[in-house]
Formats: sequence, C-alpha cells, structure tokens
Amino acid sequence: MTSRQKMLVLRWLRRSVQGGCFAVFLWTVVVAARGSVEETSKTAEIFFLFDPLVMLTTIIASRAFTALLLLGLITMALTVVFGRFFCGWICPLGSIHATVSALRKDSTFDLVQREKWSPWNRWKYYILIGMLVGAAFGANWIGLLDPFSLLYRTTFTVFGPAIRVAVEDGSTAIYQSDPHIGPVHATMATEPAYRFFRDHVFVANRQSFYGGVLISAVFLITVGLNFYRKRFWCRYLCPLGALLGLAAWRPWLRMRTCGETCTECGLCRVNCQGAGTPDKPGEWRPSECFLCLNCTAKCNWDAITFTVQNPLRGEAAPSVDLSRRAAMTAGLVGAGTLLSLRLSPVAQGKVFDPNLVRPPGALAESEFLSRCVRCGLCMRVCPTNGLQPAGFDTGIEGLWTPRLVAQVGYCEYECNRCGAVCPTEAIQPLDMETKKATKLGLASFDTSRCLPYAYGRECMVCEEHCPISTKAIHFIETEVKMRDGSVRVLKQPRVDPERCIGCGICEAKCVFRDQPAIRVTSANETRHPNNQPILSGFTLYDAPPVESGGGDPYG
Amino acid sequence: MRNQSRRSFLKQAAFAGTAAAAAPVAGTAIAQEAASATMSIARWNGAPVAEADVGPMAVKLTEQAIEALGGMGRFVSSGNSVWIKPNMAWDRTPEQAANTNPDVVATLIRLCFDAGAKTVRVGDFTCNEASKTYPRSGIEAAAKAAGAEVMYLDPSRFREYVIGGSRLDKWQVCPEIVESDLVINVPIAKHHSISTVTLAMKNYMGVVDKRNVFHQDIPTCLCDITRFMSPKLCVLDAVRILTAHGPTGGDLADVQRKDTVVASTDIVALDAFGAELLGHDPKDIATVAAGDAAGLGTLDYRSLIPKEIAVA
Repeated sequence: MTSRQKMLVLRWLRRSVQGGCFAVFLWTVVVAARGSVEETSKTAEIFFLFDPLVMLTTIIASRAFTALLLLGLITMALTVVFGRFFCGWICPLGSIHATVSALRKDSTFDLVQREKWSPWNRWKYYILIGMLVGAAFGANWIGLLDPFSLLYRTTFTVFGPAIRVAVEDGSTAIYQSDPHIGPVHATMATEPAYRFFRDHVFVANRQSFYGGVLISAVFLITVGLNFYRKRFWCRYLCPLGALLGLAAWRPWLRMRTCGETCTECGLCRVNCQGAGTPDKPGEWRPSECFLCLNCTAKCNWDAITFTVQNPLRGEAAPSVDLSRRAAMTAGLVGAGTLLSLRLSPVAQGKVFDPNLVRPPGALAESEFLSRCVRCGLCMRVCPTNGLQPAGFDTGIEGLWTPRLVAQVGYCEYECNRCGAVCPTEAIQPLDMETKKATKLGLASFDTSRCLPYAYGRECMVCEEHCPISTKAIHFIETEVKMRDGSVRVLKQPRVDPERCIGCGICEAKCVFRDQPAIRVTSANETRHPNNQPILSGFTLYDAPPVESGGGDPYG
Repeated sequence: MRNQSRRSFLKQAAFAGTAAAAAPVAGTAIAQEAASATMSIARWNGAPVAEADVGPMAVKLTEQAIEALGGMGRFVSSGNSVWIKPNMAWDRTPEQAANTNPDVVATLIRLCFDAGAKTVRVGDFTCNEASKTYPRSGIEAAAKAAGAEVMYLDPSRFREYVIGGSRLDKWQVCPEIVESDLVINVPIAKHHSISTVTLAMKNYMGVVDKRNVFHQDIPTCLCDITRFMSPKLCVLDAVRILTAHGPTGGDLADVQRKDTVVASTDIVALDAFGAELLGHDPKDIATVAAGDAAGLGTLDYRSLIPKEIAVA
C-alpha cells in the first residue's frame, strides 16, 4: 500500500469517526428525555465534560472546581500531542460545517484564491480572550458560542421540536381526515411511523420553546457562512477551536511538505478545511490544522507527510501570531460589556425580577450566571416543558438561560432531573427531599380574574392540583352577592405563603390560558434570602398569632 | 362502542347465536341470578392483612366482586376490545392512595382476557405528567405484566363528539376510549376538595380534554359526560381510600384501609356506596344526587340489594 493509499484509508477512518461521533450526539439528544423518575440519563453531558472551554470558563468564572469538568484536560493533553484533531474528527458541529462546506462546488481556480489563511483567522482568539476576561469578572457568556452549547441548544429547542411537529401533526392530520381508496387507508402507512417515533424517538411529552427564531438564526447563519468560506465557524469564530489552537501551538504530530517533490499545484490548499497553509513548505500552521488529512490524501506527488517530532526541536511553525493591541482590545471589550450588564438594579441585587423563576437548585443569580452554559439540557429533560430559554426580557446577561414559565409547564413535585443533568452544576443536583422543600417562588391570586372572586363561580382547580399535603392553597367559604341579589356561598382560594413552594402547577392548570388568575413570581425563592418577604414559623394558615388584649400595635 | 365494525358485529352475532343455542343446556338458576345482579360488594373477612400483602388480597376481592355479577363473560365477548380506565392521574405511589390500586387493574385485565377479549388497553388523561404517573402508580408495570397495552393519551388526537348535555354540547374526547367495545371505569375512593368525593363519575374527567372548566359546575358536567359514556361496568377500588387532602393526597396519615372492592352496572349506586364509605350521606353529594335526578342510576344503592361477599 502506498503512503497515499494509506492516507486515503485514514481519511475514510476520519469520516467514520466523525459519523460515529455525530451518531453519538443524535443518540444523546434522543435519550436525554428518557429515564425514569429515579434515574436520569446523564449521557447528554458527555460532550460538555470533555469540553475544556466549558471547564476553563466555568472554573474561572465561578472560582469553584467541579471534579468532573477536569475531563476536559484529557482533550487538552491529546491536543498538545495531536493538534486540533478534535475539530476535524470529533466535534459534531464541526462535522456539520464540514459536510455543508463540501456542498459548495467552485472551480479550483476560485478556491485557490479564496481558501488561504488570512488575519481574520485570528478573530476566534480575540473572541476567546474576550470571553475569558469576562469570565475572570465572574460573568460566563461562553454558552452563547461554545460549539456544544450552540448545537445542543438549537437541537433541543428548535430542530427537535420542528421534526416532531412535522411527523406528528402530519400523521395526525392524515389520521383525522383518514384518506383512503377502498380498503387502503393512508393511515396504514402513517400510523406505524407515528407510533414508532412516539414510542422510540420522541418518547417524552411534546415540547415547544420561546425564542426559537433567534436561537436558530445564530445556528443557521453560521452554517450558511460555509458557502462564503469553508468551515467559516471553525476557522474564524469558534472559541473552543481557538483554545485548542493555542494548545496545538507546537504539536508532536506535524505535517511536512517536501519542497523537492511539491509542484505547488495548490490541491492541498484547496482541500484544506482549516486554512492551515499546507501548500508552503515550512509555513504549515498547526493551530489552524484540523488533522482532516485532505491535503495528504489529495496530493498526487506524495509530498505531504505527517510525522512525530520532538516539539522542542525541529522546524519552528508559525505562531498563532496575535496582535497585542487587538488582544488587549478584546479583553477590554469582554470586561466592559459584561461589567456594564452588572449595573442594573436587578443585577446589583437591589430588586428582583418577579418573572425570573429559576429551576429548583439554581444557585443565587450571580453564581448561576457564572456557571450556566446555556446548553438547554435542563429544558430538554423537563417533563412539563416549563423550563424555557430566557429572552432579553430578563436581562441580556441571562439570554437563553433556563427559567420556569409556569403558564407553559409547572415544576413537577417529584422530579429533580434538571439538576441531575446540568453539566456545570449551575442547577445543583438536589436529592428529592431537598428539592421538594426548595422554594422557586410564591403564588398569588389575581382576584380580578379568579372565578370565585371576580365572577361568582366555583372553580378551585388550583387547589385540586396543589401537590403539597395539607395544601398550600386552601379556601375560605365566603358569602357572595349574586346579580339577582341572592347570596351564594363560594369557596374563595388563598395561598399559604409558608407552604407554597412556587412549583406553579396552579398557574399551569388555571382555567385562564391567556393570563392565569394565579401566578408564581420569584418572591420567597430559597436561593435569594433578600427576596423572601414572608416571615416563617406561623402555625395557622395565614394569620399571625393574635395575642389576647393586644389591640392594634399602631393604634 | 358507537361505531361497531362489520367484522366485530359478525363475530358478536355469531357468538351470541352460539351462546343462545347453548344457554338452555348450560344455564343454571344460579348463573342467571348472578347475571342479573347489578351490584356486588366484596369485603375482606380474613385475618388482617399487612401493608406488604395488600396485592394478593386486592386480587381476590376483585375476582369475587366480578364473579358475583356473573363473571366478566357477562360484559366481555370474544374478540372485544376493552379499555380500562383507572385513576392514575397523580404522581403518587399506591400506598398514598391517590391512584387506583394496580392489582385491581391487573386482575380486571386478566379477567377480560380470560373472557376472550382481543385487546385490553389501559390509559388515563393525567393531571401530573403521564410519564411520571404511569410508572409511579404501579399500574404501568402491573398492566403490562398482565398483557394489556398501556396507552399514553395525546390530546391533539382527541376528537370532537356530540355530547348533547346541558353544559357540554360538543367536547373533545379520546376516540380510542369511546370506540372500545367496553370501557371499565375503575376509580379509587377519595376525598375531593370541590366535589367532596371523587368516584366513578368523576373518573370520566380522564377521558376528555379541557376538563378544568368543569369545576364551575361539576355535577352537571359529570352527568353529561357519564350519559355520553353510558357505563356498563364500574369497579370501585376501596382497598385503600384517601380521606383528606384529596384528590392529590400525599400524606399517609390521610389513607385508610377499607379492604373492599365494589362492582356495579349502576354508576350512581356505586358512587353512593363510595360516598357513604367516605363518611357522607350520598344525598349530600351534589354529583351523586344529580346523577340520580338525571336518571343515570339510583343513589339508594341498597334498593338494588347488592350482593355482599365476605372474602377470606
């Protein structure tokens, strides 16, 4: 077997590994929502655990170590030896970009002009610097651009639900209208498919999410940019690629271009995924090379080889070559942007956002933001679909972090899955008893809408569903005057603020679907002592103890 | 139930014909008496049963209650599809008595298959997430072990049916339940904050969508949906009952053991019995009284001369 044939085999091996890793990714997406009450699948964390960027920013921003995150060091160590193999062989987002890039068909002449290293390749390093400096100030925005956060978030909140809508609504429409020719029904084909997807692929409840347009726009734009430059995202933007590029500064495994046999035809450059300058002897840039092996597999003259070298000796590869001024600017922008976000009264902890109800076990807001990587795993495993990506309405800094929108779905009483899957423990893994005692907020009635208050009707759906034994919602039988002057006794609901844990099932089940007559706000949340207006320890439902002969203390 | 397929009609007709021909030979006075009974109450009369051994007792109680009505063959014909509708709406364990006892459900499944049922399906439109209530109630595992299909209901696939009631004119109902040959309504006896008690009529809340508006007039809504469902067989699980903080419960202090299973063809009578078991005069329970007034059954269940069975 000639060396070139070997390289062709290796390239197929690389493609197989990419396919395998992508399959693993899809599998984690499917199984993430499975798992029973007692056992939550953590398989979807796997890519995050081996992601050194998540490790680094989380540790810097939160000043706390999570032992599991240190698995990222394995990736770093391998990169020091092999270069950015992770980008070329493992990363499922990289595989998407590589595949889309391959769809572009241009003349070799055009490609030779276009596909070369440019100073723009440095941008990813500046982005990384900005993120790291921001993290040093306690603000972790890496989740916006970390490739796995980007990929999982988009898949969980947009693509997965979209596929489900297509499959289910399509087959349901056929099921309802039941088109048939004689005894042959269309449902004979669609119903088995519907059931297969329902039982083996979707499994859990159907989910829908706010903010999908912006989430998917980021993803789709980066995919579209592959038609401008191959693997645009990986070359110019990816902060994980930048971190690995720094580690791959002088790898042990190096590419050599033999100046004597090279005819400077440019085929290697045209086929290079990372703009690593394989075509100029001695100018190969290991920090930009994805180890895709296209250069050596495509070379007709066997001029390109990969060999192991002592990193301390041998030819000096071009360095990452950052501009000091630009790097400084990036750091300042990172620090400045994130600091400026911390100036609002909410960020300073003077007031609290009533609508920002976080999942059970979420750390206090500033700590939470220093850890959350916005991957969307918690939203995926949430059985009621209540965890939703925050938009700009709760502050730019919290973009796409999880919040409980109880109107969509409540926090299931006997469930702690969000904390179990969180890769950075921004949501702490709580045991069930602690979780059930953790307050997310407090429910309050809108008596201008609530049926027994506003419309003179029975209801009490909220009370029926309240999961606390000795329910947090109880009722007071009250005489209400009706339109005809008659008097009716109605059960008017009230919330016991000591018992209510803010799970929001009352809001989720309220008959009003536009603006529920009972809502949960963040008041009383366990994670913020300053946001707890309710004095605890009363033995009666509502009333503070009345001392005999006390009278009005202000009278 | 409503739209009988031609095949099932022919099968039933053939079966009925055979049965009619065989009846004079096989029929005995005892069987005929049982086949006309409308209510049976099976109470445990043996040695007190420990909490860990409730299962086998529930099986015996269920078997005997059905037997006293003339056996499952009275309700299930060969080739029938049966839907068993327990209450498994809540994310609670069997011991917490918020959901129907899994052994009662599993026994009914077995009796249906023994009587020749082709398919037995089990499903409920739940209050907590079904993915949690089905396994935690113990019913999913028990039903699967008994050979039934456990169905997760998809409200987007419910169909609008003409209910023709005084509150519910048209409503979204689960078609797979409506189209079954037989629906066995299997509630557990519980306290309920709005309707005071929740029993068989209230259990029909779990076959319809958008039920939370029912609370504005529960008795009438339940009468409407009960008439639409035209119950043939209801089985009340009163092995454990929930006496307070219903329908969700959660506190074992609110659970009482009654070690009783009741079967009836008269849903109102069944609910009247359940109301009494929970410590109420059936006349005071608005839903039961409304059911009686609407002619869906009688709240004076004693007038039916229920068969009392002491099981040991």
